[in-house]
Amino acid sequence: MNQPASSAPETEAAEIAQYLTVNLANEEYGVDILAVREIRGWTPVTRIPQTPHYVLGVLNMRGAIVPVLDLRLRFGLTREEYTATTVTVIVTVAGRNFGVVVDAVSDVVEVAPNAIRPVPDMGTAVETEYLKGLTSVGERMVLLLDVDRLLQPQDAQMLEAALPSAEEKAVA
Amino acid sequence: MSKVDLAQFHKAFFEESLDGLDAMEAALLALDEGSDDPELVHTVFRAAHSIKGGAATFGFSDVAAFTHVAESLLDEVRSGRRPMDKAIVELLLRSGDTVRDMLSRSMSGQPAATAESQELLAALSAMVAGHAAVPAAAAAKASAPADDIEGWDITFRPFDYLLKTGNDPARMFRELEAMGPLSVVCDAGKLPALDAMDAETAYLAWTLHLAAPAKKAAVEGVFDWVDGDCELSIVPKLAVKAEPAPAPVAVAAPAAAASRTTRESAANSESSSVRVGIEKIDTLINLVGELVITQSMLSQFADGVDASQLELLRHGLAQLGRHSRELQESVMSIRMLPISTVFNRFPRLVRDLSQKLDKKVNLDMRGETTELDKTVLEKIGDPLVHLVRNAIDHGLEMPAKRAAAGKSETGTLRLEAFHRGGSIVVEVGDDGAGLNRDAIVAKAVQRGIITSGDGMSDDAVAELIFEAGFSTAAATTDLSGRGVGMDVVRRNVMDLGGTCAISSVHGKGTTFTITLPLTLAIIDGLTAAVGEETYIVPLVSIVESVQLKTEMIRSVAGGGELFRFRDAWLPVVRLHDVFGCAGQRRAIDEGIVIVVEGEGTRIGLFVDELIGQQQAVVKSLEANYRRVQGISGATILADGSVALITDVTGLVRMQSRRRAA
Repeated sequence: MNQPASSAPETEAAEIAQYLTVNLANEEYGVDILAVREIRGWTPVTRIPQTPHYVLGVLNMRGAIVPVLDLRLRFGLTREEYTATTVTVIVTVAGRNFGVVVDAVSDVVEVAPNAIRPVPDMGTAVETEYLKGLTSVGERMVLLLDVDRLLQPQDAQMLEAALPSAEEKAVA
Repeated sequence: MSKVDLAQFHKAFFEESLDGLDAMEAALLALDEGSDDPELVHTVFRAAHSIKGGAATFGFSDVAAFTHVAESLLDEVRSGRRPMDKAIVELLLRSGDTVRDMLSRSMSGQPAATAESQELLAALSAMVAGHAAVPAAAAAKASAPADDIEGWDITFRPFDYLLKTGNDPARMFRELEAMGPLSVVCDAGKLPALDAMDAETAYLAWTLHLAAPAKKAAVEGVFDWVDGDCELSIVPKLAVKAEPAPAPVAVAAPAAAASRTTRESAANSESSSVRVGIEKIDTLINLVGELVITQSMLSQFADGVDASQLELLRHGLAQLGRHSRELQESVMSIRMLPISTVFNRFPRLVRDLSQKLDKKVNLDMRGETTELDKTVLEKIGDPLVHLVRNAIDHGLEMPAKRAAAGKSETGTLRLEAFHRGGSIVVEVGDDGAGLNRDAIVAKAVQRGIITSGDGMSDDAVAELIFEAGFSTAAATTDLSGRGVGMDVVRRNVMDLGGTCAISSVHGKGTTFTITLPLTLAIIDGLTAAVGEETYIVPLVSIVESVQLKTEMIRSVAGGGELFRFRDAWLPVVRLHDVFGCAGQRRAIDEGIVIVVEGEGTRIGLFVDELIGQQQAVVKSLEANYRRVQGISGATILADGSVALITDVTGLVRMQSRRRAA
């Protein structure tokens, strides 16, 4: 609201996308702001059985039961203690809501399509398949997360990962 | 305005037509039982008439043609020119089925007419024609001049609100034109100046001449839907030798009266019921559930603060609590429908089955107004049909056998629904022969379910028919008892969170008692602490909670634990392990064991402690996540956190799989 710079001419505004930037292991990631439902401070969740380790549990978002996953664990990073700045970003993809725990949220940035560069296939902590591209905001580099991708392959993996463990339990 | 896409109304038309068919069937069955209430005939006629009109409007010409003939037959009965008899009722019942079938075919986009419908149509037509051969004088007069008519003069002067009723004169004229050359003269005398004109008011009037010897009924049929909303005169233009034309107004009058009653009854049913999308109601239910949760959060907070000036806040909260609960109840009641929506199909079923089997059955239905959740209702229909079918097929004896046993030849089948506690009880009872103990025991032994029936109580024997392996198609014929898919019936009932019990007295009859929860959206549950988590165990599946001592546990090979409960050894299922809960494990004598039953199998769930009993609004895990084994859903506790609801049936299955592995 208090961003006079953002009141660019209407014609350009249609092409410019806004991204919420979040911090994860000292890198900055962008999430399409249209997918973001809600940002809330970290609160403990209710654990659910038979899930991959990165699914922390479920929380109550105004009456809906929403699964929460830790993005650090999801991307194979080490888990950090949750602090006062740790937040859960709730996103909606294909009608489903899920929460993503990140170290902190920092900013909302505007990115023009032509400012998005392909991700070189190296050096990033996150597998490139979950990235749309990267862009620079001033001196900072922002990796743009592909939220749709984040859910779908991972959803399938969640199921796969969950089933054997359920079988194991049954056998054990 | 003629470009309106009619397809959007199809769904409403199908729904209304199916409702109409139900009403028609109910009235026919009442007539079949010898009732001579003329209102019943009117009901049947109205249903047929509305379906015909709707079908014609929406272009389902096969359905319209079929119902038209049925309507003609009904019209004769209605006007007293033909007595209602069993043959007509039978034919009309079959017609109702056929129309239902045609509608469902139309719904799925298939051609509506089938060989069967054509055959029935022919039978109906034959019956109508058969009458015409032995006509009352009036009928002869009405049909005879048709030969001499060479055309029709029609004056049609709509009342100014006609367009608002959804009728389109242009469409009607096209319909007339289809019968022959049509000339139309428009009287625009009442047309106001352009700025004073209201687009939805009918100002025009027409004089039409149809130059074709069309049937009077066909011409009148075009104006069926505007009867009473216009000045209409339809005068046949006779050939030169014409006799004086019959007074058109006199003929039109009864038709107008009939259509007016149709409209009135339609208006009545609209005001007494509203069709609401189930998703809208679900949203409401969710919101109100939230309100209840907020309220309990607030009151918990208020309890924690001790300041005397909070008295007012407490008072207000109490009021909020009362109101939100009332609101919740009334919103929940929107989902509730009378069980008559399920019971309604039974008069027909019983009639058909008893005729087929040559048995005499009197159906005694009670408590049809008892209300049940829509979801439960939808799923209870099939199990009930099963029980009723079985009762007539195997329960009730042939009339001769009944007479020999000193009973009345007519058997009684009782279908009763009533409230008991927080549940709905549905009983299906017959006064037939009762279960044949010896036959059941023999069957069960043969199937390897038991080794011998010695020492088993009658109840235990009766329970055998619910065993999965018990029923096969062959069992139907060699057993005088019951046995087709009773395990399926019980499973369906249990899926709804209900129970199914049987009691049978030899020679006196059998009664099945189905106990169902009022709703699936809220369950009564016991909250239990397991490690750092809280789980909810549905109250319906709990048998008892017991505290065990270490020495009461028997360990078996493979690491399982068993404990003695009444006459059986039950496995202990430690929820900590099954759900992998964080937190300290406790020794068996420090926690508590909840004995639960699912699919007839009992297990003991070991938890740390019982916290209390509460109503839980069931929320789906699948909406945003997926199914989790052993968990049926989640709910939100008073502090806003989420608790998982255990799926007892699932846990029992997991346990038996573990044992098998």
